Amino acid sequence: MARAIARVHHNSAIMNDTATNNSQNFSSLSGQPPRLRRTTGAERAAAAGQGAAGKALWSGISLGLLLSIITLIFAPVWREWMFAILPESKFAMQLRTTDVKKLQKEAQRLEKRVAGLRKKYEWITPRAPYLIVDTSENRIHVMRGDEPLHEGVCSTGSYILLKAADQRQWIFQTPRGMFQIRGKKEYPVWKKPDWAFIEDGLPVPSPNAPERFEYGVLGEYALELGDGYLIHGTLYKRMLGMPVTHGCVRLGDEDLRVVYKNLQIGSKVFIY
Amino acid sequence: MALKNPGGAFINWLAQTFLFLRQNRQAQLVFFFSLIVFPLIVFVVAVVLPVAKNPFEESNEENIKDNTEAFPDSTPAEIVTSRRELAQRMASLEVDQAFFQARLQLVKRDSINLAVDLIDSVVALEVKGVPMRRCKILRYRSSGLVKRLRSQGRLHQWLSTPFVLQEELATLPKAPIRIKEAPRDTIEANESKGEDLPIEQRDAEFTLHFDRSLTLVVEQAQPPSFAGRLRKIWYDLRRTFGAAGDAVAALIHRQIPQHRLWIEIELPREDAKAIYRALPPHAGLALRL
Repeated sequence: MARAIARVHHNSAIMNDTATNNSQNFSSLSGQPPRLRRTTGAERAAAAGQGAAGKALWSGISLGLLLSIITLIFAPVWREWMFAILPESKFAMQLRTTDVKKLQKEAQRLEKRVAGLRKKYEWITPRAPYLIVDTSENRIHVMRGDEPLHEGVCSTGSYILLKAADQRQWIFQTPRGMFQIRGKKEYPVWKKPDWAFIEDGLPVPSPNAPERFEYGVLGEYALELGDGYLIHGTLYKRMLGMPVTHGCVRLGDEDLRVVYKNLQIGSKVFIY
Repeated sequence: MALKNPGGAFINWLAQTFLFLRQNRQAQLVFFFSLIVFPLIVFVVAVVLPVAKNPFEESNEENIKDNTEAFPDSTPAEIVTSRRELAQRMASLEVDQAFFQARLQLVKRDSINLAVDLIDSVVALEVKGVPMRRCKILRYRSSGLVKRLRSQGRLHQWLSTPFVLQEELATLPKAPIRIKEAPRDTIEANESKGEDLPIEQRDAEFTLHFDRSLTLVVEQAQPPSFAGRLRKIWYDLRRTFGAAGDAVAALIHRQIPQHRLWIEIELPREDAKAIYRALPPHAGLALRL
């Protein structure tokens, strides 16, 4: 039985060798790829090892890239920790003061210089009355130096962007920054601009048409800031404190009277 | 089973995925080295180098000359204490001087600027040196680098010229613009006049990136609304990934990412909103800390 099995193995080995030789001969003749030889256990293990190494490489790189992204996102936090744990620089404060005599004199000089700068800075604030307009909370402050003279409510720009059918557009925003009073008027007349008609769904008249002029809508006084912006009164007193205007600063009657009385031509108006 | 114990299922999945690492020394080594190589490079370039080469830590060896003659009758311990006190006084005066110098430089500009005084806990919106709005800082935190600069008495060098706003990020729009189409006739105009004015109840949290690696983070003291919380999550994500994006951009340009020196202040909501809305692009900042 054992001899019979050995003969069968021997025959199959001969057949394999013959097949291999045939395939080699055949491939050398026709240029086709050779048929795979049956692999041994060691070769299979080596191949499996290479496959595992390849898999390990790609898994490692993928996870490593993920970790790199996380490291990059948290880099500012890492850096803060490093600043916290690193020792102080050798040029720390106590070393800077070794030349004590010189520094004592310098400190006195510096004190005087800082006091001078502080004084210079304080002198920048106007001594004459000026107006601060807060467009965020719609409030006004009449000031002289650091002293508040009067506080009140106002209305400022609505931030509406009006788009006309003819592609023109206007943004109703109160400008910010420093301005000066350029003119003062009693019982001002409002010359309605184009947007006032467009907003009401009316046809726009010619520049000096009588329907452009409206009396009494701006209150008793108006103060000009330039570029068509005014500080004026209003008929819509219930809207005071809200952002509803077309860019002008609207005030109630009493506040307007105080502002008109205190601010002169050239007085400063600060809007933020 | 997997639904009942999702943690266990995940561990099983991991174990199956990395089964090939078992009893394979070569695969284990390859995996370990390929895992650490990129994070290590990123850590060195984005964390270690910016700390080691940060522009604030320059040496200043002038004045290092021992002179104890000013204190002839003092013990060495007393001399050290006096030196330290004098150094602190000098440093604080130098910071004051730098603050006023920066503010005086801002006076020359026409735009609205910001003065942040962390010592007196005050923020002021200023134009031409006139404070238009002053508000109290309720709480503040700052980068560890600020503390290091302060301990070295070198803050004034950094503060003596105004910072210039470069970029901003916020949970609220800069201007609450509403678009309105012009009415076709008076009937339509009268209909639209009856509409109620929307009252803006926006939370105000923002980040201002200035030049010279300074970031000012402003948070509101009041807890945000539900919508505000969602906006805050989005804002935080943009802030975090923005910083990571800057680091990547620096690496692409073969530069070391810069560590930004940050200051975080807490203000009442209305003050925070007013400040954010008032600041123009390229606004200046004078800082005292």
